[in-house]
Amino acid sequence: MKRSFAVPLTIMLVTVLLLAGCTGTGSSPQQASAPASGQQKMYIVGIDAEYPPYSYLDPNGTPTGFDVDSMRWIAQKKGLNVTFQPTAWDGMIPSMDAGKIDMVYSGMTITPERQEKVNFSIPYLKINQTVAVPDSGKKTLDDFYAGKMVVGAQRGTTGAIWVENNLVNKGLMPADNLKLYDSFPLVAEDLAIGRLDAAIYDKPSMVTAIAGKPAHLITEIDTNEQYGVAIPKNNPELLRTINEGLADLMKDPYWQTLRTKYSLG
Amino acid sequence: MDPVTFLTQFLMPALWQGLIVTLELVLLTAPFGLVLGIGIALGRQYGGPALSTACAGYVVFFKGCPLLLLLFMLYFGLPTVGITLPAFTASVLGFILCNAAYNSEYVRGAIKSIKDGQMTAAQALGMTKVQAIETIILPQALRRAIPGLSNEFIYLIKYSSLAYMITVVELSGAAKLVATKYFMFNEAFLAVGVVYLVLVTLTTYGVHLLEKRVAVPGLTGKSRA
Repeated sequence: MKRSFAVPLTIMLVTVLLLAGCTGTGSSPQQASAPASGQQKMYIVGIDAEYPPYSYLDPNGTPTGFDVDSMRWIAQKKGLNVTFQPTAWDGMIPSMDAGKIDMVYSGMTITPERQEKVNFSIPYLKINQTVAVPDSGKKTLDDFYAGKMVVGAQRGTTGAIWVENNLVNKGLMPADNLKLYDSFPLVAEDLAIGRLDAAIYDKPSMVTAIAGKPAHLITEIDTNEQYGVAIPKNNPELLRTINEGLADLMKDPYWQTLRTKYSLG
Repeated sequence: MDPVTFLTQFLMPALWQGLIVTLELVLLTAPFGLVLGIGIALGRQYGGPALSTACAGYVVFFKGCPLLLLLFMLYFGLPTVGITLPAFTASVLGFILCNAAYNSEYVRGAIKSIKDGQMTAAQALGMTKVQAIETIILPQALRRAIPGLSNEFIYLIKYSSLAYMITVVELSGAAKLVATKYFMFNEAFLAVGVVYLVLVTLTTYGVHLLEKRVAVPGLTGKSRA
């Protein structure tokens, strides 16, 4: 009896595995545009899909945003094939290390630590960190700088790093009071719930994230960060292409159109 | 940074902190998960129609609900009805609810493996149903459930890492944070993998000892005594 079961079972298993393999390879990189050139390389651009206005998914699930539109423009001008891959923020650089994505074009601040691992394009935006508090909060800005708040941030962001360097490492704030989340909408949610006294994030994204929530900005920290496109160190050619593309884009009227479209001034 | 400095200066202290949190999560969850699981199994097996259906419903719901979703509901959802749990409490609660659902199935399976005749015989001797369950059925069933329950305990050690998604920095979370900070992913994940392996191996060995200790010669199949 047992033998008669084993054969069909094995066949079934193998079939399932084969099918899984087929669909896996067939559908994984969505062929965004298939040019006549045939075997052209598809560049996979890593984005944080919950990072408006730079990169997010529209209601249909299509990547959109300031950075995504910029990349599409550059790709068109430079004849690159690109597809966007939503990736966890703290997994961006390891994904690039592992060759899963070819670049990160998603509001990434150029920092010396990141520069040790990857190359950055020319800077394309300047931003600051902002701090938001719940409307019902009793604590003041002085409490924030004195480290007397429970602060929420997205893991691996420059906001989280700022709190670590300026509050936790200086002994002002217990490390436990910096709460780290997978994505910023979760931080905004917990801020609204009232578990957090404050949240820290890049400015325009913070404004979008707390819109409609019972929270408001209390300060902007002049970190003067600059965004760049992160590219693996072993691909100087791609770096050159992206730099040229960015330079062209910033000279083009479309740059201002995009800035206006995404309320970046 | 060279891997040795990274390991000794940054990774080890972080992992140690994380390990303590993981152990707290697991050791707080396991007893409640076990007791609740036994209760549900008994309710399902011996309870009246209402209790039995309620217990079955519990199992269907918590086995069907992805644990991460459950944690999100407890952490982000409950505040909408006025219950704001701290992250650690929400994690332990979620783990207990999930752990109990699976444990109850292992216990129920073990109870069902004991012949009905034993219950009939006990009652024929004048025992009440509760007495029979307490002194005859459960002692045998729990012994038989040990391998299954230990499996679930090992799962618990590993899925406790989901607490990280609601800001509890446990073992794997601690590793991920250090890895992100210093961009030393392979080193950090390899190290944390070793720690989990040690935890699971120790558990497996502990369960083996427990099984030997509580074994009744001649009762649970082959006796090693």
